Amino acid sequence: MSISLRVNLGGLEMKNPVTVASGTFAYGEEYDQYFDISQLGAVTVKSLSLRPRAGNPPPRLVETPAGMLNAIGLQNVGIEAYLKDKLPFLRKKGCTIIGNIYGHSPEEYAQLAQRLEAEGGADAIEANLSCPNVHDARTARGCSLVAQNPELVRQYTVAIKTATRLPVFVKLSPNVVDIVESAVAAQEGGADAVSLINTLLGMGINPETRRPILSNIVGGLSGPAIRPVAVKMVWDVAKHLKIPILGMGGICTASDAMQFILAGARAVAVGSYVFREPTAPMKIVQGLDDYCRRHGVADINQLVGAMAV
Amino acid sequence: MPHLADCRIMSNQEIAPEHYRLTLHAPQIAAESAAGQFCMIEVRPGYAPFLRRPMSFERIFNDGFSILYRVQGEGTRLMAMMSSGQVLNIQGPLGKPFPLNPTYQRHILVAGGIGIAPFPALGDAIVRTLGKTPEIVIAARTERLLLCEKDFRQMGCRVHFVTDDGSAGEKGLASDGLLRLNPGPDCVVYACGPMPMLKAVHAVCAARGAVCYASLEAEMACGDGVCLGCVVESNVEVEYERMVRVCKDGPIFDTRIIRWDAY
Ligand SMILES: Cc1cc2nc3c(=O)[nH]c(=O)nc-3n(C[C@H](O)[C@H](O)[C@H](O)COP(=O)(O)OP(=O)(O)OC[C@H]3O[C@@H](n4cnc5c(N)ncnc54)[C@H](O)[C@@H]3O)c2cc1C
Ligand SMILES: Cc1cc2nc3c(=O)[nH]c(=O)nc-3n(C[C@H](O)[C@H](O)[C@H](O)COP(=O)(O)O)c2cc1C
Ligand code: FES
Repeated sequence: MSISLRVNLGGLEMKNPVTVASGTFAYGEEYDQYFDISQLGAVTVKSLSLRPRAGNPPPRLVETPAGMLNAIGLQNVGIEAYLKDKLPFLRKKGCTIIGNIYGHSPEEYAQLAQRLEAEGGADAIEANLSCPNVHDARTARGCSLVAQNPELVRQYTVAIKTATRLPVFVKLSPNVVDIVESAVAAQEGGADAVSLINTLLGMGINPETRRPILSNIVGGLSGPAIRPVAVKMVWDVAKHLKIPILGMGGICTASDAMQFILAGARAVAVGSYVFREPTAPMKIVQGLDDYCRRHGVADINQLVGAMAV
Repeated sequence: MPHLADCRIMSNQEIAPEHYRLTLHAPQIAAESAAGQFCMIEVRPGYAPFLRRPMSFERIFNDGFSILYRVQGEGTRLMAMMSSGQVLNIQGPLGKPFPLNPTYQRHILVAGGIGIAPFPALGDAIVRTLGKTPEIVIAARTERLLLCEKDFRQMGCRVHFVTDDGSAGEKGLASDGLLRLNPGPDCVVYACGPMPMLKAVHAVCAARGAVCYASLEAEMACGDGVCLGCVVESNVEVEYERMVRVCKDGPIFDTRIIRWDAY
């Protein structure tokens, strides 16, 4: 039986539904040492900003039960160094690229998207409107992320869509009362897909020193610990959206990935688990093929949102 | 290039209270590894613990390598319960090795506690590739935790002991032991241990005009330069190059580039 894993994610053709989560794969080179990364449906790069960013001071990460907390603070080489030093490798490999961007205003996002399109730096844009690690936790209160304010989500999405013809995915935060509201706002703004979820806000304290574990105090929780939350959010959003969903949050195996697909995700991203098992994304591609075979399904698209209720 | 390999445990022995030596059969990894590099160990299947644990190579053999570890928390506690014949998934070699330079007259190693771990391999390399005999300061809380004396005596090294409680050797800190050896510009000092110790050793070396390479520690997720979680602050002027990754840019650093006032 021949199985088709091809999916179309809001205009982005992917040879299989598996990509990686921004910030957990850098720009691909390191993990190409462990498997041929061009076999992935797409490679999603670390958030790019207009200028390079140093990120937060250390310590930046700590392990948690079945996951980790991080407060990297979007350290990245900046878009120009990406185009010059990182992109040629990904293009030479023949990767499909999702260019994740981060800016301080709608104009900056628009500029980043424009620049990526003009230089062939990405095949789709993923706008990170939901990074929890770029605010001063000592003073931040309430809605400090763009993704927490549906009206802003709409405005930012419109600005990016106006700037580029590439498919635009809007990456949403789980740190909201109702993620469907943010997703609907992205759809109204013209988004071609939504990516969910970014990390859940969390923190840890060392009782012996009475000091926060992370220098930024607050960080983002990721890994299998958050998977049930992510699956539920994908399912909620899928019921109310016409545009497709890129699902992520704690995916480690093909069977985890299938939960997201059955809940309504058109494609999935493997995040923190690659740190533990660098070949996991490739194993998940193979595992999805096996799943389809075992279940006698010729086209994976038939399984999107196919949870039996 | 790092490998991912299932490696059989050859032995796992307690060598001091809460301190173990684990030897693994890993010919492919061993063939490409050098002193100062490390591996990431998958402690067991499942998500507890979630991340791999970084461990330096203690000694590198033709058919594998050994590590020396202290029981610190859950991961190392689980490791301590393992026995020969069991299999661990290992990622490695990772990081940069200790630089070896024949122009220095004296090679001084300074170890604090479990910081001794990468030094048997370094001692071997200095003897074998430079034909020199290193000197070593072994510092620990107390006598029973002074490790690897025999290994260094066999290399013909001068061994200096320092303990916090004075139960063996000189009473004091690792940096006091180093001072006693009177380091100067003809010396290269290699240090491994807790951050405050490395800071003190750096201060001694800076004052005496000796070059110092330290093996640093940080919590790691990927071990291979991807997550940017393991950084330390350096003195580099360029703002976005200031954070250096312990796993990929290190773990061995020339101590002059580290911003010690942050520690
Ligand atoms: C490059 C490198 C080489 C290392 N080599 C050795 C070695 O040869 N022998 C050895 O005994 N240890 C070594 N370590 C430290 C070792 O990795 C940690 O002790 C171990 O990960 C603790 O795991 P755990 O599950 O037992 O403890 P956990 O329960 O995870 O943690 C217990 C405590 O240890 C601290 N800790 C956790 N991970 C690290 C870490 N990676 N570095 C420093 N502190 C940590 C935590 O903050 C916590 O306070 C090395 C670390 C690095 C970065
Ligand atoms: C170390 C680390 C760095 C991350 N950096 C980014 C980033 O730069 N941009 C972004 O949109 N998301 C970033 N994320 C969030 C992930 O892309 C993903 O949304 C989240 O981790 C949930 O997936 P997971 O549980 O599989 O890791 C980062 C996550 C981690 C763990
Ligand atoms: S541990 Fe991930 S970059 Fe060093």
